[in-house]
Amino acid sequence: MVDFRLDAVINGRKVSRPAKPSQRLLDFIRDDLNLTGNKEGCGAGECGTCSVFVDGVLMKSCLLPVAKAQGARIDTVESLAKTGELSVLQKAFHKAGASQCGYCIPGMVMAATAALRINPFADREEIKERLGGNICRCTGYQKIFDAVELARDVQNGRLPASALLEEDYTDGDFIGKNVRRLDAPSKVSGKLKYAGDMTMPGMLHVQVLRSPHAHARIVSIDTSAAEAMEGVEGVITCADVPGEDGFGVFVNDQPIMARGKVRYVGEAIAAVAAEDLVTARRALAAIKVEYEALPAVFDAFEAMQPGAPVLHDYAPDNLTKHIPIRVGDVEKGFAESDLVIEETYSTQAIEHAYLEPEAGLAYVDHDGVVTVLSPSQNITHHRHMLARIIAKPISKVRFIMSPVGGGFGGKEDMIYQGMLALLAMKTDRPVRLVFTREESIVSTAKRHPSRTTLRMGLTRDGRIKALQMKMVCDGGAYGLSTEGVMRKAAILGAGPYAIPNVQVDTYGIYTNNTPSGAFRSFGALQTQFATESHLDMAAERLGLDPFEIRRINAMQDGGFTHTKQKLGKVSLTKGLDALEKACGWEAGPPEQRGATRKDLGRADTRPPVALGARFEAPGKQEAAE
Amino acid sequence: MLICDEYLTPASLDEAFAAMAQHRGRSRIVAGCTDTLPWAREGRAGDVNIPVLIDVSRIPELNERRVDERRVRLGAATSIQSFLDDPALARALPAMPRCAVWFADDQIRVQATIGGNIVNASPAADATPCLIAHEAEVELAKNEGGKIARRRMKLADFVQGPSRTGLADGELLTAVECDALPGYGGSFEKVGHRRSLVISLVCLAVLVKLDAAGHTIEDLRLSIAGIGPRPLRLAQVEQFLRGQALSAGLLEQAADMPAPLVASRTRQEYRREVVRGFMLRGLINAAKRAGADPAALTPELEAAYG
Repeated sequence: MVDFRLDAVINGRKVSRPAKPSQRLLDFIRDDLNLTGNKEGCGAGECGTCSVFVDGVLMKSCLLPVAKAQGARIDTVESLAKTGELSVLQKAFHKAGASQCGYCIPGMVMAATAALRINPFADREEIKERLGGNICRCTGYQKIFDAVELARDVQNGRLPASALLEEDYTDGDFIGKNVRRLDAPSKVSGKLKYAGDMTMPGMLHVQVLRSPHAHARIVSIDTSAAEAMEGVEGVITCADVPGEDGFGVFVNDQPIMARGKVRYVGEAIAAVAAEDLVTARRALAAIKVEYEALPAVFDAFEAMQPGAPVLHDYAPDNLTKHIPIRVGDVEKGFAESDLVIEETYSTQAIEHAYLEPEAGLAYVDHDGVVTVLSPSQNITHHRHMLARIIAKPISKVRFIMSPVGGGFGGKEDMIYQGMLALLAMKTDRPVRLVFTREESIVSTAKRHPSRTTLRMGLTRDGRIKALQMKMVCDGGAYGLSTEGVMRKAAILGAGPYAIPNVQVDTYGIYTNNTPSGAFRSFGALQTQFATESHLDMAAERLGLDPFEIRRINAMQDGGFTHTKQKLGKVSLTKGLDALEKACGWEAGPPEQRGATRKDLGRADTRPPVALGARFEAPGKQEAAE
Repeated sequence: MLICDEYLTPASLDEAFAAMAQHRGRSRIVAGCTDTLPWAREGRAGDVNIPVLIDVSRIPELNERRVDERRVRLGAATSIQSFLDDPALARALPAMPRCAVWFADDQIRVQATIGGNIVNASPAADATPCLIAHEAEVELAKNEGGKIARRRMKLADFVQGPSRTGLADGELLTAVECDALPGYGGSFEKVGHRRSLVISLVCLAVLVKLDAAGHTIEDLRLSIAGIGPRPLRLAQVEQFLRGQALSAGLLEQAADMPAPLVASRTRQEYRREVVRGFMLRGLINAAKRAGADPAALTPELEAAYG
């Protein structure tokens, strides 16, 4: 590799130092200059958290070979304001509550800065378009657009600068008040350090070898060539686990690295710690694994059939968890019903897609405490599991929770922290692993794909007499949170409705798909999607308004849930009333809608998707037409 | 991960050809790099080791552009953003700003080049149908015994299929030349999963020239991509519409014509519906921008598709 000298002006300072031809500008500013305000979210130009100015023009630094910066003026998010101060836009982001996890925010602030420099009078539509290259997963964007509009108006003098000042709480009264996030300044400025931003002296870079097979026996693993490579400081496999291997949220069925066989594409098999990332990648390619392919199963219903491939010896029927709920007698309820509807609903696997891919840093401290820093959503549980896995007393295991750049349940699983601990112990050096976006998608938990068959019996006046539900979920190769998800899906599946006869069965099933795990709503979405869709159909068949049928069946103050939890106060009908008012609902059964609806073509309805607000924009016209 | 041992930025065509000759078989030409870097990742090419990358984006000749009333010449390293920033280009290529605004995002199109978009030969390339509608030709250069030899090829013939072009070994795409069509109304219709950073499921470039009264279609150009292995010029529809008086009925007839051309690997039925809608929307938008008499288009049609 031929290093070259890069001469550039970065954040106003002359830089002249060696750079590697394979480096991207993002690597150079983050790794070599330690300017970690701009992040890496995807490495493929999709998310924009790496956006920097190159000669005053905003570009994505993950798509720029560093040689392209030769002679250029580069400005990162750190250039927007002096330390301890915030730019007008950054203040507006703080004021508008536009930062949540904060991982996309440095890029968002940069894109917003660029947008207002190009057109200081950009309207909301143009702002949306100009920020189109930046993805946020937490906020839903509205507060970000609010912030940019606020900054625009302050910059243009339409609003006084005091519009950016905080109106903090008065007399300790927080409820119902607009209180600004304490951590927002660190996020809008890029100061906050996520796990992937942290380094330690002597730190090694970790890469993970992952399975290309969905189900295969591991005949042999030969790491000798990788271990012999210069710059490789440690290679681990399941043979390096000193204690009782196995982690999970409810059942500890997943080894730190594949043991004996692999059960899904992307499962970790070995990990390497090396002096640099390229060496670690090359070492992975030098590890030889011999597999013997096994029949695999990719459908939960097929996995439930006799003779289906078995994933785990302890679960010969591939059943991870079955949760039954029984209230009353559903057959009696159906007999009393005037209308019985049966339908089957399916939902798909969904990736959390938090902007921050998994990352972690581990080291063994001066007292021999194995320390793991990562954006884990469950550090206490991880700490207890890891102590057992590495056979150390709990006092010798420490977990530090780094800022979570979006989790949504996807960071509850200890899928890489174990490897980091083992490599730190083996090399006696700090080690860091930063997932690529692709690695995050292939290896981490997804929302459970489900198929729910629902039978509901109702009387003519809209009262639900019986509900019978069977949901089968594809839990993937390992248990993770499946048990809890099945539980919540069952408990909440029949909805907030008083129903005298309920029979619910939820099944989590092992397959050779990517493991399913925790995801916002934790199973309730899948079953309630069925129940709520069903209620709309019932309303149509009975000639009832969809709001009305829900009010008729709503649980009442002092009532009981389907699992006999006593309810003090039920706010469902209050919520329904507010929703009905806010959405401009046209009362009546669902099938009346459409032909009679009067909202189409109205000024506040959404037109077909288009782009080009800048062509009609007030202020600066960008293109001559 | 893209791993290279050397990253060269030749300052002239001669230097570029010398580097290509010296590193023949172990090098790759890059310009904007906006496709090369995402390509060298898991799920696509994975880790790629290319000993030498030759970045031609700084060669002055590849950054030259000339525009007059009849012709446009674009150096291959012309950025997509140029079609939004350069009023002369926007005037000569009226559909191009509309295409550019849909192209990737505000940041990537500063970096992405017209030459890269063409050589990449994606069936869904956004810029290619626009240029095909302008009767574009590509200029291909190579070093022959110390001299630079150039040849030309119609862009419609150059793009042969997914990732397949007429580029020969040792050749470099140096420029694109095409008709200037000032006074035409242009539109570009595109659909994908979202507005920014999305690969076209279908995209359509429309250029319309009307008579002074805004009634008669004097000329029009139509080119479509995303519906088959390579972009297509819709010559039959052009012939059908040329010389006709603008009317809603005429446009509806024209909109039905391209449906049989849909030969994509997936979602043909969906694309046929999109093509019909895009034909109407594209023709209406282009005609309006060409100064169409508002009376010629029924308000219902305009409301539905304009």
